[in-house]
Amino acid sequence: MIMTASNLTTGAHVVVTDFDGGEGILVDLNTKRYYQLNETAMIVWKGLEQGKSISEIVADFTSSYEVEPDRATLSVQRLLDSFQTYKLVSAG
Amino acid sequence: MVFTDLKGWMPVDAVVVDGRPGLAWLEIDGVDFVEPFFQQTVDRFRANHPELEERFTEFHTLVQLEKTFDSVAPTGFIFHSSRCGSTMLANACRAITGAVVVSEPPAVDKLIARLITDVDDHGTKEKLYSVFVRAVVKALGQRGSGNERHLFIKFACCSMSQLERIQRIWPNVPWVFLYRDPVETMVSNVENLPAWLLDEDRRVLASITDTSIDAIAEMTVAELCARAIGSFYATANRVANDRSLLLNYNQLSAAEISNVMQFFGVTPAASEMETIARESQKYSKSPSDAPTFVADADRKQQAASELVREMAARWANEPYQLLEKKRLGIQ
Repeated sequence: MIMTASNLTTGAHVVVTDFDGGEGILVDLNTKRYYQLNETAMIVWKGLEQGKSISEIVADFTSSYEVEPDRATLSVQRLLDSFQTYKLVSAG
Repeated sequence: MVFTDLKGWMPVDAVVVDGRPGLAWLEIDGVDFVEPFFQQTVDRFRANHPELEERFTEFHTLVQLEKTFDSVAPTGFIFHSSRCGSTMLANACRAITGAVVVSEPPAVDKLIARLITDVDDHGTKEKLYSVFVRAVVKALGQRGSGNERHLFIKFACCSMSQLERIQRIWPNVPWVFLYRDPVETMVSNVENLPAWLLDEDRRVLASITDTSIDAIAEMTVAELCARAIGSFYATANRVANDRSLLLNYNQLSAAEISNVMQFFGVTPAASEMETIARESQKYSKSPSDAPTFVADADRKQQAASELVREMAARWANEPYQLLEKKRLGIQ
């Protein structure tokens, strides 16, 4: 299934903290597991927090990095899949 | 218990409870850290308030709490090579109105020690511990009275080995490295063994001295101390930049301390300078009824054993001289 960011929300049980100029750490308070996010993953996470659509997050991507929209869309989709796999986001 | 219950509490130690690593918290909001060391303040507070109980949280709670703290950002950091006047400098910082001075807080020291012993190849643990260190410092810098304007942190000497990682957490915070002649430093440490040389987790000293636990088990205290302080000097020499100030013990005076304050972006008022001058004449590590400070460089040089001199010559003198050249601008 292809997800769109608009139907995903960040989990209330997840805390994010910035680190080192754009990277971040996610803490899943349910499992007490920590996840390290690189700069691109943080862009996606912050986009989700702000309720952005997938196209808006892709736009954030392409404005920050020299990457084609198709490739950026694929990267964003993969990150959303990972967030869902680890139950860090939920379908709204 | 919900995490917001801990607002205004201070992390007094990093501990492991039932196999779970985390922090011990004590409600010491509003208490002035007037003693030379943070632990002395905690001990005084516990003695005066035996009814208060500590609370334990795992580290994930700290990450939640970090966002809720109303804290003073760090003004300056003090690093040192041990027994070199750094406590006097920290005490002088207390003379500044609105200054919070946290000296060698155990939770920070222990988390930084984990940066030495527990980091992995892909850097996740390094980032995690760095986030914890940042959050603990933010907790320690919480505003109580509302008059707090400056936060000074004095790190334990072994934290010097993690200076580059600490700089990554706070790249813009100015820091001073205070150090002393290696023989004088070693005499003081050998005469009165400090906790850092007796640390049961020998991985820390093995890393600092770039040896192994087995190797340091075979070393005399003099050799271990010489290798460690040699490492501290070398790290300072390598990492010093325009955000740092190198300061030799033999420079210490009220005027020089004023220069350090200026370097930290703080201009002491005349009354604060009077306090600094007065405090710099006291023995710095005694919390009260302090005896007068006596310069002891000559006595320490005369008291040095052959072994101390030999180990200093082998492991510490060269990095010390290189650091001195850097301080003095000699290429």
